[in-house]
Amino acid sequence: MKSKHTFIAAVEIGTSKITVFIGEYSGRELAIIGRGECPSHGIIKGSIVDFKKASDATQTALLQAQNEAGEDIDCVFLAQSGGHLEGFYNEAAVNVKSADNMISQSDIKTVCDLAKAKMLPEGRSVVHNIQRPFRVDGRLVPTSPEHLMGQRLEVGYWTVHGQKQRIADFIHVIGGGNLQVREVILSSLASGHMITTAEERQNGVLAIDIGAGTTDYVLYKDGVAHTTGVVAIGGAHLTNDLSIGLRLTTDQAEKLKLRFGRAVIQSKDKADRVWLDGNFAIGDRQFPRQTIEQITSARMWELLEVVKKKLGHAFTPETCASGVVLTGGSAKLPGLTECASKIFAVNAHLGEAPSWLADNLRDPGYQTALGLLYYSLSGKAGKASASSETRGFLGTLSRLFSNG
Amino acid sequence: MDLNELPLDPSLASERSIAIKIIGVGGAGSNAVDRLKMDNLDRLQLACINTDSQALGSSPVQEKILIGMNVTRGLGAGGDPELGREAADTDREKISVAVKDSDLIFLLAGMGGGTGSGACPIVAEIAAESGALVIAFVSMPFSFEGGRRLKQAEEALRNLRQVCDAVIALPNDVVLQEAAENETVLDSFARADNWVGRGVKSIWAILFKTGLINLDFSTLRQVFQHRGGKTLFGLGEGSGDNAVADAIASLKLCPLLHVPEFSRKADRLLVNIVGGTDLTLAKVNQIMSAVAEQFGRDANFVMGAVIDEARQGQVEICVIGTSDMGGRTVPSRRATTVKGRASFSSSQTEPAVVTENLIEEELPATGNTPSGKTQTSAVKTAQHEFGFGELESRGNFERTDRNLYDGQDLDVPTYLRKGIKISL
Repeated sequence: MKSKHTFIAAVEIGTSKITVFIGEYSGRELAIIGRGECPSHGIIKGSIVDFKKASDATQTALLQAQNEAGEDIDCVFLAQSGGHLEGFYNEAAVNVKSADNMISQSDIKTVCDLAKAKMLPEGRSVVHNIQRPFRVDGRLVPTSPEHLMGQRLEVGYWTVHGQKQRIADFIHVIGGGNLQVREVILSSLASGHMITTAEERQNGVLAIDIGAGTTDYVLYKDGVAHTTGVVAIGGAHLTNDLSIGLRLTTDQAEKLKLRFGRAVIQSKDKADRVWLDGNFAIGDRQFPRQTIEQITSARMWELLEVVKKKLGHAFTPETCASGVVLTGGSAKLPGLTECASKIFAVNAHLGEAPSWLADNLRDPGYQTALGLLYYSLSGKAGKASASSETRGFLGTLSRLFSNG
Repeated sequence: MDLNELPLDPSLASERSIAIKIIGVGGAGSNAVDRLKMDNLDRLQLACINTDSQALGSSPVQEKILIGMNVTRGLGAGGDPELGREAADTDREKISVAVKDSDLIFLLAGMGGGTGSGACPIVAEIAAESGALVIAFVSMPFSFEGGRRLKQAEEALRNLRQVCDAVIALPNDVVLQEAAENETVLDSFARADNWVGRGVKSIWAILFKTGLINLDFSTLRQVFQHRGGKTLFGLGEGSGDNAVADAIASLKLCPLLHVPEFSRKADRLLVNIVGGTDLTLAKVNQIMSAVAEQFGRDANFVMGAVIDEARQGQVEICVIGTSDMGGRTVPSRRATTVKGRASFSSSQTEPAVVTENLIEEELPATGNTPSGKTQTSAVKTAQHEFGFGELESRGNFERTDRNLYDGQDLDVPTYLRKGIKISL
C-alpha cells in the first residue's frame, strides 16, 4: 500500500448504536468511503458492562464499514464518553528567560509542561489536555506566543481524565480485531466541532450532545474548548423513567417516548389520552398524554440543569453569546430547544450539520463519528485550527455520498 | 331563669368538647407517657398498655392495662412481635374499654421490640374502629440495635400506617446524632421523648388554646382523611428579638424533616403557630410563606395560630403534612374501618391483602363497563402502590454504578425524586 493513502476509521461506541466511518486520507483531503452501523449491546450509560457482547457488536460494525469501503483499516480514532470522565483546570506561569523579553520556544515548552504536570488520583489516566489560549502579561494571545515580547507567560489546561480500566475496555474492544487505536478523543469535542462554526466558537457557545446513555457537553470560549464534561444521563433514562412510571416494557416505553415524549409540557388537557400501539390490538392501552410529557420533561429539565450546575461559573449568558447548540440522538425530542433556552437563558437551537454534508449523514446521531474524522485530520486533538482544510475534505465527502 | 338549670351548662359543654387520650404501648411507649405525665397538660387522659406487669407497676400513670396475661404470664413479650400481637388479640375487650369515648388518641410506642411492634397496630385498629382519630408517634430503633429489630420495626410501621390516621416515626439515630459526647443514655431518651412531647403538646394546643386563627377538631380530621401515606412532622421554635426568623431556621434544621426531597412534598399541610400575645399577622404571614416554600405550594394548607400567654416573645411552629402517595389504596376512613374488621387477622401479617380485597370489591361495581376499562382501573391501583413501595427504583440501571450528583441518584426517575405526581 502506498504510504500516501491511509484509511482511517472513526469509531463511536455508543449506548444505543455503534457507528463506524472509514475515511481515505490522501495527504491533502479526506473522503468518507465506508460506513458501518450496529445496535449496541452490553453498553450502559456509555460504559462497557458486557465485554463479549460489546466486542461482537463493534466488530460487526467495523466489518460492515470495511466491506463497504473495500479497504483495510490502518488506524482507529475512538470516541470516549462515560460518567467516569472528569475534568479540572490547572494553570502555570513562567517568567520569560531571555534578556530582551522575547518569548522563545523553550519558554513555551516549560510553561506547557508545568501546567500539565498535575498529578492524577490513583487509577486515572489523562484522556485530553485541552489548552486554553496563552496569556502574555495578562494579554490574551490566540495563537502561538513565540517571538512576542513580554515578561510573563501563562497558560492553562483543562485536563480530562478517566478511569484507566474503563478506557482500556474500549481500546481492547477495538484491539480484539487486530486494529490499532491511534487516538482516543472526547465525544463532546468531536460532535461539538461538527455543529458549531468557528465564528460561534469565537463568540462563545455551548454544545450539548445528548446521546442514549450519556450527555457530553463542551463550552467554547475565544475559539477554543474551555470546559468539557459528561453527565451519565441520556435518552435511555427517558425510556427507563417512562417504563417505571407507566409500568411498561422498555420497548413499549421507547416507542411512547419517540411518539409522544416532549421536553416541555404542552398538553393541558388531563383527559387527552393516547394509545400505546394504536393498532387496535388486544392489550393496547391508553395513557394520558400529559403524564408522558410530565415524566420526559422533568428528566430533560433536570439533565440540562445538571449540565448548568456542573459548568458553574464557567457559563454565563454574557460570555456565551452564540447560545446553546444541541445535538445527539435525544436532541430530536420536541421542545428541547425551548427547554434549553429557558434554563440557560440564551438562545438555543438544534445543531445543523454543515451544509456540504450529504443528506444521509445529517442525522444528529452521526455528528460524533464525523467529528472524529475531522480530528484525525487536524492530527492533534484539542487544537482548533485547520478550518480551511475542513472544507476541502468534507467537500469531497459530500460528493461521494450524494453520488453513491 | 337560673343559668345552672339549663341542660347545657358551660362546664358540662366544655367537658363534652373533645376527649384526648394518650396511650403508651410497650416499654418505650409507657416511659414516654410517664415523662409526659410530669408536664401536666390539663384535659389529657393518659394510659399505658403493656405485657410486662412489673414495668406497669412502677408507672405513675393512673390507667394501666395489662394485656396477654394468658400468653406471656405478665412477663413481657421478649422482643417477639408475634407474641405482642397475640397478647393484644386475646385482650381486645380490655383495649376497647380503654379507647372508648375518645375523640383523639395518641399512641406512643417504640418499634422493634415485642409489645410495641406487635400490639400497637392492634390497639390502633381497635381505637380507629371506636371512631377516634388515631395519631401514632413511634420511635424507630437505633442502628446499633441490629438488623432484626429494624426489620421488625419496619414491618410494624407498615402495619401501623394501614390502620392509623397518621404515623409519625422518629428515628432514634437522629437523637444519637444530636447527642453530645458525654450525654447520658437517660438524657438521650429523655430528648427523644421530648420530641414526642412537643408534638403532642402542639396538637393539644391547637385544640384547646385560644386561637388567633382557630383550628378545630374537624379540620384536624380533614388533614388526616387519607391513610396509609407517609406523614411529615416538624417542629421549630425561636425566641427573643428574631423569634420568627429563628423559628423558621430551626424548623428547616428539624432532624425529622431530613428526608429526601420527594417525601418532603405534602398534599395537605397543617401548620400551627404558637406564640405570645405579641404574635402579629405579619409574623404569621412571614412564617407561612417560608413553610410554603419548603413543603410545596400546591399543598392544601390548614393554618392555625394560637396565643399562649405563657410564651411571650416566643414562637413555635408545628408542621404536620400528609401525602396521598401510597395512601390511595385505602381511600377513606369508613372503608378501612369496615374492611379492617372483616379481614382483621390477615391485615396484621400482610397489609397488602387488605388492599387487594378492596380492589376486588371495587371491580364488580363497575362490572358492566367494557373489559378494557376494568383493566386500567386495576393497573391504576397497582401503579400507586408501586410508586410508593419502590421509590428507589432504578429500572434498567439496577445493576449499574450509582449515578450520584448532589446527593441524588440520577438513575432514579426524576419525577419520583422531585415528588411530581403523575396520573394514569
